[in-house]
Amino acid sequence: MRLKKLIMHLIFCLIPCAIFSQSTIALALPVVTLLDIEPTGTFALNFTSPTEAGQALTAPADNTTKWVNYTSAIVSGGLTRRITASVNQVIPGVNIRVQAAAASGAGGGVLGTSSGLVTLSTTATNIITGIGGAFTGTGANNGHRLTISLTVNTYANLSARTNTPIVITYTITD
Amino acid sequence: MARHKMFSIKYCIGFTLFFIFSYESKAQSVTVPVTNWNAAIPAITEAGSNYSGTYSSPTNQASINVGLPALLGSVKVYVHYQGNPTWNSSLVLSAKRTSNGSTLCVGCNISGGTNYITVPLTAVELFRISTILSVTSYTGINIQYQVSGVSVTLPAATYNSKIVFTVSN
Repeated sequence: MRLKKLIMHLIFCLIPCAIFSQSTIALALPVVTLLDIEPTGTFALNFTSPTEAGQALTAPADNTTKWVNYTSAIVSGGLTRRITASVNQVIPGVNIRVQAAAASGAGGGVLGTSSGLVTLSTTATNIITGIGGAFTGTGANNGHRLTISLTVNTYANLSARTNTPIVITYTITD
Repeated sequence: MARHKMFSIKYCIGFTLFFIFSYESKAQSVTVPVTNWNAAIPAITEAGSNYSGTYSSPTNQASINVGLPALLGSVKVYVHYQGNPTWNSSLVLSAKRTSNGSTLCVGCNISGGTNYITVPLTAVELFRISTILSVTSYTGINIQYQVSGVSVTLPAATYNSKIVFTVSN
């Protein structure tokens, strides 16, 4: 009996033990904040004069050629990003407006939400909010399409002018 | 007389089994000289872009040494990972064997693990070594790592994990 106990005890000790060793892997993902407007280049928005006395000016057709591209990486629990827009000058009697469409194209992650139709001023105003860790894809047809338009707000304040350069500045921020 | 004979048999069995046990536990081993991989992720420079997603270490990022005892027919090397302390499960680690290492053993054979396998949280076999009743060792079995799933959609942070190699028969 004791012999049996001894044999069982030693057989149990023969069950193989795992021996191990290890190395480590490290990977750093930084905060990323990138924004641009595609494609590059300027465009013109011109009011058309009426041909019949008593008629108002005809507003130009909206420009829809520009897209907002961005890449955003934030820390866990960090503030979401927003994109603002402002102009370098306002034109008396005219509203300069921009509306960002919903994100489309090749992007992914927590993309932003459009703030709808926004009238621009020299003070930065949100046009897209709630951007988390996300990328839109690059170039036209990726990201948020912009619709830029002009309307008359106060007819009495209009004055004739040509080639008035308006610079719209877009900023991505926390 | 019968009692004396029984005692001798018991003594011989006990001594033999003890010898086998102590010999096996000393000879079976795996070592990985410290070769930590700091994965270099190129910065994103174009708005709208994401990381390419998959990055590989040098083919000899790790070099494993395996010791084999006399009486084992084969030894298997397993691999798994542990967060150290923080990893993201969307980052997928893979490993593969890129060399046979060196050995003096005639008739030994190393097999498996030459294609990437996903390294999970629980041990999976990476490769195995077969031996025919000889004490031997393999040195310099090269291992390459790969990490995939790298994306700006993951929280910005520094992630660390331990790759654990385990040998067992």
